[in-house]
Amino acid sequence: MSESDASMLRPLAGDAPRSPGEARLRKAWAKPQGIAMLSAVNNTIVGRYIIATGFTFFILGGILALLMRAQLIVPENDLIDFELFNQLFTMHGTTMMFLFAVPIMLGFAVYLMPQMLGARDLPFPRMSSYGFWCYFIGGVLVFGSLFIGAAPDGGWFMYPPLTSLTYSPGINTDIWLLGLSFVEIASLVAATELIVGILKTRAPGLSINRMPIFAWAVLVMASMIVIAFPPLLVADIMLELERAFGWSFFDVERGGDPLLWQHLFWFFGHPEVYIIFIPAAGVVSMVVATFARRPLFGYTWVVAAMIGTGVISFALWVHHMFATGMPRMSLSFFSAASMAVAVPAGIQVFSWLATLLGGRPVLKTPLLFVYGFLFTFVLGGLTGVMVALVPFDWQVHDTYFVVAHFHYVLFGGMVFPLFAGLYYWMPLASGRLLSERLGRWVFWLMFLGFQITFLPMHLTGLLGMPRRVYTFPAGMGWDTLNLISTVGAFILAAGVLVFIVDLFAHFRRGERVIHNPWEAGTLDWLPVAPFQPWTTFSVPLVHGRYPLWDQRELVAEVDKGGHFLPDAPVGRRETLVTDMITAEPQQVLRIPSSSWIPLSAAIATSVFFVAAIAKEYAWSLIAAAVTLAIFILWAWSNARIPEADAVDAGKGMSLPAYVTGIHSHSWAGLSIGLVVDFAAFASLLFTYFYLWTAWPDSWPTEPFTTGWFPLVIGILILAASSYAMAWASRANRRDDGRGYWIGILAVFALGALFMAFVIPVFARSGLDPTRHSFDSTVWAIIGYHLLHMGVGLVLATYTMARTLAGHLTSRHNTDLNNTALFWHYTVGIGIVSLLVLFLVPF
Amino acid sequence: MSALRMLGLPLLLTALGGCDRSAEVPAHLTVSGGDVRIGEQLVTSYGCGACHVIPKIRGANSHVGPPLNQFGRRSFIGGHLPNSPDNLVRWIMDPPAIAPGTAMPNLGIPREQARHIAAYLYTLR
Amino acid sequence: MQKAPTGILSISSAAARLLALLSLGGGLSGCSITIEGVQSALDPRSSIAGEISQVWWAMFWGSLIILALVIALALYALKRRSRPSRLGHNSLIIVGGVLLPVVTLSALLSYGLNIGHDFKSGSAAPAELTIEVIGKRWWWEVRYPGQGNGPPAVSANEIHMPAGVPVEFALTTTDVIHSFWVPNLAGKIDMIPGKVNRVQIQADTPGVYRGQCAEYCGAQHAWMAFYVVVHPPEEFEAWLRNEQAPARTPDSTFLRQGRESFINTGCGACHVIRGVEGAVGTLGPDLTHVSSRLSLGAATVDNNLGTLAGWIADSHTMKPGNLMPPFAAFDGATLRAIAGYLESLE
Repeated sequence: MSESDASMLRPLAGDAPRSPGEARLRKAWAKPQGIAMLSAVNNTIVGRYIIATGFTFFILGGILALLMRAQLIVPENDLIDFELFNQLFTMHGTTMMFLFAVPIMLGFAVYLMPQMLGARDLPFPRMSSYGFWCYFIGGVLVFGSLFIGAAPDGGWFMYPPLTSLTYSPGINTDIWLLGLSFVEIASLVAATELIVGILKTRAPGLSINRMPIFAWAVLVMASMIVIAFPPLLVADIMLELERAFGWSFFDVERGGDPLLWQHLFWFFGHPEVYIIFIPAAGVVSMVVATFARRPLFGYTWVVAAMIGTGVISFALWVHHMFATGMPRMSLSFFSAASMAVAVPAGIQVFSWLATLLGGRPVLKTPLLFVYGFLFTFVLGGLTGVMVALVPFDWQVHDTYFVVAHFHYVLFGGMVFPLFAGLYYWMPLASGRLLSERLGRWVFWLMFLGFQITFLPMHLTGLLGMPRRVYTFPAGMGWDTLNLISTVGAFILAAGVLVFIVDLFAHFRRGERVIHNPWEAGTLDWLPVAPFQPWTTFSVPLVHGRYPLWDQRELVAEVDKGGHFLPDAPVGRRETLVTDMITAEPQQVLRIPSSSWIPLSAAIATSVFFVAAIAKEYAWSLIAAAVTLAIFILWAWSNARIPEADAVDAGKGMSLPAYVTGIHSHSWAGLSIGLVVDFAAFASLLFTYFYLWTAWPDSWPTEPFTTGWFPLVIGILILAASSYAMAWASRANRRDDGRGYWIGILAVFALGALFMAFVIPVFARSGLDPTRHSFDSTVWAIIGYHLLHMGVGLVLATYTMARTLAGHLTSRHNTDLNNTALFWHYTVGIGIVSLLVLFLVPF
Repeated sequence: MSALRMLGLPLLLTALGGCDRSAEVPAHLTVSGGDVRIGEQLVTSYGCGACHVIPKIRGANSHVGPPLNQFGRRSFIGGHLPNSPDNLVRWIMDPPAIAPGTAMPNLGIPREQARHIAAYLYTLR
Repeated sequence: MQKAPTGILSISSAAARLLALLSLGGGLSGCSITIEGVQSALDPRSSIAGEISQVWWAMFWGSLIILALVIALALYALKRRSRPSRLGHNSLIIVGGVLLPVVTLSALLSYGLNIGHDFKSGSAAPAELTIEVIGKRWWWEVRYPGQGNGPPAVSANEIHMPAGVPVEFALTTTDVIHSFWVPNLAGKIDMIPGKVNRVQIQADTPGVYRGQCAEYCGAQHAWMAFYVVVHPPEEFEAWLRNEQAPARTPDSTFLRQGRESFINTGCGACHVIRGVEGAVGTLGPDLTHVSSRLSLGAATVDNNLGTLAGWIADSHTMKPGNLMPPFAAFDGATLRAIAGYLESLE
């Protein structure tokens, strides 16, 4: 059967269901209607929300750029004053990095990943929704500050001491620090569920070495977010503590160091660039294979290159600090590491070239954007090698040369692939093609506009123009170059405008498609376009990397319900959990449907942050309590014990409906959450060691409280509580109710005892966080651990309540497992904290 | 590729375009030996904009002294002298000599340069 | 209003030079053309700036070749799209993606990391002169060694140095992070609170160069610039002797009246004029020899009697947001007298 025959037969969303099983399936996955759309949690809806919001921020950030270019069109222009201009460039960078690039790439991932992997949804759909609302509310809050003239104005990397209370007394900086922390929660949440989704909910047979490149790209990106974002969150909170409560982390007068901020910021900030680029490169790999009409050359090389980029990117952050006066030796290391990243980039570029050369490329709009990407990104990569060379960087650092460089890699490396992706995947969202004719206009306007704007900037920078200046004197050789750049910026904007026209027009006039218009080979093109929440009638069994190319009958079989899960027997949403490596089916996972809980939780969380920005801490505490209560309600309502142990998964296979222990998806989710948490904890320890080595003379020579006694007692209590937790878990597994209750109550008692013991020791120590960075850091580390102890006690209480309510049994013990995992982790960081604070540097 | 070809036109149009000089100066305000173009350069290099708003001089937007827009239509110089070429040249060369209370300092501008400056100022109408 | 010195590039000649740059910008051998400009990394006037500019041209041509190669391959793929090319092969990935970057980058690193060693202080010939530069919002305090064991001679927004002699710069800040950068002479180095960064610069030829703050430092980052005046050595000695001396005494009633008004209106609370009682404040620039400087407001405007008066009366239209309060509490004659007095401080 040919592709077109297959598409003729495909059942559409509007057709009557062809079997009772399909009717049940559609009912279980039905979209909420009207205002209830806001309670939707399914990836096909939330993904669209994220992409639409991200694209809106792209337009808004672009308008800020146009305003700046208008001001810089002539020297000494007085169109925009310095106050607004400084807010404009801060918000342009902030919007593009935090509110556009990362979220929209995550949006693509949320939207496409389940379908591309043959899953029905992500494993934690309500988290998708919560993450989206955090992002939406936080983004509106941060961007909205422009309209009250209080937008952040410290530059998007917010270096203290410029951003300290002394030099930025307004609310502007607080909005950045707290508002973006709120937005970052969204990225962390999305990253966590994407990792679990990619590793655990692939279609049977889609083993890890058959995953589409885009899935690999998202996996690498999400893993990087998990490690890179926490240091920024910690830095944000430390700077806010310094601003709001007078603590000291960055204040040299009190043992702080402004370079600490730069280390933490760039430890986030450099991987951030690749967090944006890697998924975009994944899009390119998909588009190239489809339009070259052949599988990608060097699949393994490309995967290895993406992982390599991810790893190396954590060793480059100092190349943003070449001018800070660090020792030459360490600069040389970071210089070499920065150049090394050209190797994985080169591998990917030449893999695309080899695929294009070895295939029969069809130059449709998506491929046209890939060509624009290739030229722009390669040029940006080459200037990237240049700025990685320390002496050259001394000249061009913080000049328009660097502005040109990072727009080539970010706009070239991410925005062009994004537009390739929009033209490529739009039929899946709308069931219609965007216009090829207008698409060419969009491409050429954007491509030429971009080059006209940014190519001259290399020279502007070499001729000495620093970045972030609201105006410049005439006669420096910068006048014409700036004029050209401004003209180019408006041409670029015209291209985006044509795209918006095309976008709105295509919903009515675009050519209709229901099946695989580009004849692609991957599973994202298996469902009928536009995407329906239930995806396909049955979940396919896959035999290769390009199932639609390799398995000619797949579409018809899937539509007939011949594969997995062609029914929703109890009217609930389900997806398959498979082995992380081999994708052998393991479980039929129930996943939650529409709910108002995520939106409510996001609103409560936003109240917490808004109140903190307004320094109304009482309201913050109330909001935190409400948020916690909603989370508990959320957890309680989600985890139900299924009616039957085994479920018919189709193809004659019976799978468990409930899995516990390390194979459970929630255990995987929590583990990744703890990686996030540990990255934050490690940042605090880094702060402690960094500040000590920065100012060894002003640090105390003995611990904040004398004697071995508190150390030994503290560690003993913690270890005992961990033992009690293990005891409780074991007893529960043996169905030994008495042993379980003794264990869990002992955990609670020992946890409370630890807090009762540590807090007074700490309170009597005379540590004053407003005095010196040592005091601040000790407070931060101990406070961090005590916060975890508090959460641990809440979880222990929750676990006991679950047992009493009959939701936790010897076999259905996920709640207990998760509590135990969290508890052991908390004990671990507690012991590390105590050892560090008592033994180092004394 | 029609998109690519048609892009050339607006680009060309952007590159063209210019600006017109101000209206003619009436006969009684013509300064003998005054060159408007040199005068404009002198106004720039002496930094007159540090105190005066002067149209078309970039950055000349200070209100320490009176704005010089439409100076060619002004009746009095510094609120003292009738606005004539001779008086203007004298004023530019040494304002305190004419009005001892003025804030405008004597910049030691030679007569020849003062003529150019005066010629330029009369083009502001 | 004139800001910065008269530009060397006019609009038309800039375009011509852009073309010249693209068409005949030197060769791989490292020979290079120079672009004249008051503040340009491509117009090196010291050995380190020269080395960096050379490495730039080498990288420029190398990059152009690599870019051309990639684009040629990509376009070739479109041209031969009816039948696949034999270049479409895994070995292309290994040759282009691994070997090419490894070889070129190793070469670049071994060449590039060996230049610029004498920028870091103490690595080359010991400096004969140390000049301290302190970044302030939004101007530069410059301190030269005093005579004998005397206090340093303090100036602002202008650095004078002898040609052909290694000079050490000790760089720090008293408020936020700034970055010290004179592109014609060397790369930039940050000025960080609690830290003194030392670099060594040897200017080859006398001349005036412009430098500018390169780390965003708040409101008036755009107008935080300065001039470097490189003298022949003996001329520098004379200049330094003058700079070390206290302010000259006014020689007319008018100027004496100016000095008196300077003190009476409170200018001395923020400005030092060495040798004048009551002019002891350190918040603003030292004005002992203000008249000898090229510019006012950290290279914001040219320095003359008129701009001085304008600056005193209202510095905020020239440099909005600067930390000097506007003074309009005196009559016109007093303003002229104060400006005249400052203009006499050569």
